Amino acid sequence: MDFFQDALFSAIAAIGFAAISNPPRRAYLYCAVIAAAGHSTRFLLMEGTGLRLHIVVATALASLLIGVLAVLISPRSRVPAETYLYPSLLPMIPGIYAYRAFGGLVMCLYHGGEASFGHYFYLFAHNGLTCFFILLSMAVGATVPVFMMKKISFTAMRRHE
Amino acid sequence: MTPRTDAPTAREMCTFLADYAARLLGSGATCIRLEKNVRRIGAAFGMQVEVAVFPRHIHLSVVAQGGGELYTSIAAISDCSLSFAVNAALSRLSWDVADGTVGFAEAVRRFSAIAGMRGEDRLLVLLLASVANAAFCRLFGGDAVAMAVVFGATLAGFALRQFMAARHADFRLTVIACSFVSSVLAGADGLFGLGATPEIAVGTSVLYLVPGIPFINSFSDMLDRHYICAFGRFTDALVITGCLSIGLCAGMMLMNVGMF
Repeated sequence: MDFFQDALFSAIAAIGFAAISNPPRRAYLYCAVIAAAGHSTRFLLMEGTGLRLHIVVATALASLLIGVLAVLISPRSRVPAETYLYPSLLPMIPGIYAYRAFGGLVMCLYHGGEASFGHYFYLFAHNGLTCFFILLSMAVGATVPVFMMKKISFTAMRRHE
Repeated sequence: MTPRTDAPTAREMCTFLADYAARLLGSGATCIRLEKNVRRIGAAFGMQVEVAVFPRHIHLSVVAQGGGELYTSIAAISDCSLSFAVNAALSRLSWDVADGTVGFAEAVRRFSAIAGMRGEDRLLVLLLASVANAAFCRLFGGDAVAMAVVFGATLAGFALRQFMAARHADFRLTVIACSFVSSVLAGADGLFGLGATPEIAVGTSVLYLVPGIPFINSFSDMLDRHYICAFGRFTDALVITGCLSIGLCAGMMLMNVGMF
């Protein structure tokens, strides 16, 4: 159940966030499919199977899948692969980690005592580092396929007789 | 390649490509796509095109076949809203020119039409973005109340964003105002003790402002070794994230929402 819920909500989120960057209408369905595939893959790698991968590794693999799917689908839908990357990656944005890192930083300023400062600095650093590496693995994982399959990525807009 | 009968001069080509490149980058294209597209259009008329991309400008040089005529120009990157529909249409135009189905005069005409393309219906985008952020809230573990609160907070914040964008307000100011409004409204979940996950409601209420495309494009430009542009885009994204944090922090202080 969790698995399907995860896929469904990431597909809804992807359609909404795709709308912000004004893609051609034909791109919406593919956005939803790629996002659902990516996010549920991460879910499976982390919780659904026995693998229990770390969130950074699971995100990198899921992003790689998103990148590959985006490049392969782009000639079929005649939409640049980049169109699919942002809405599909967004449901994996480490918002809560970023939020906690920022919270830790602010609390550091309010707590001068060594013990409490240390605690909040730990929260800042731990959440901040996790957030940074998730973002890095997302961006690199999704962009690398565009460069690895340049021929498909940059001829997708060509009209075929 | 033999020059086509409708071949423009290097000057005409350079002027056209400067406008084309400025619009393509403004719509959210990466540097590698920009380079490939402009070179493709130039090559169709036997011209060699080189581009240098700076954070706010594009420097273009066009050399006519045989190296006889060289023209160079610098264009400011369009400060327009992101549009992958424009990106796709401009990329397709470059292929149509390369394949010889569109001549130079027709390409200029089509470019004007594409540049003037209308975006998606504002109300529809507003609704879709609000539903999306509510779905997001669920993905992060929020309950039904948190989802409803995030939907309302996003609806108000995103409507403000559209209002300010229509009045050409500074985007950084817009982000501060929107994240403040959204986080204050999302703070209602905790303030009135409505649901069990108030902190998730506040945390996700501002995520529609995350500058994801500049972040992703900056990594793409980095992989392509366009370091100056990559750094420019990354700085832009950081500044927007900072503005988002300022608005969020102010909203949380006003609502007395604790972080931990």
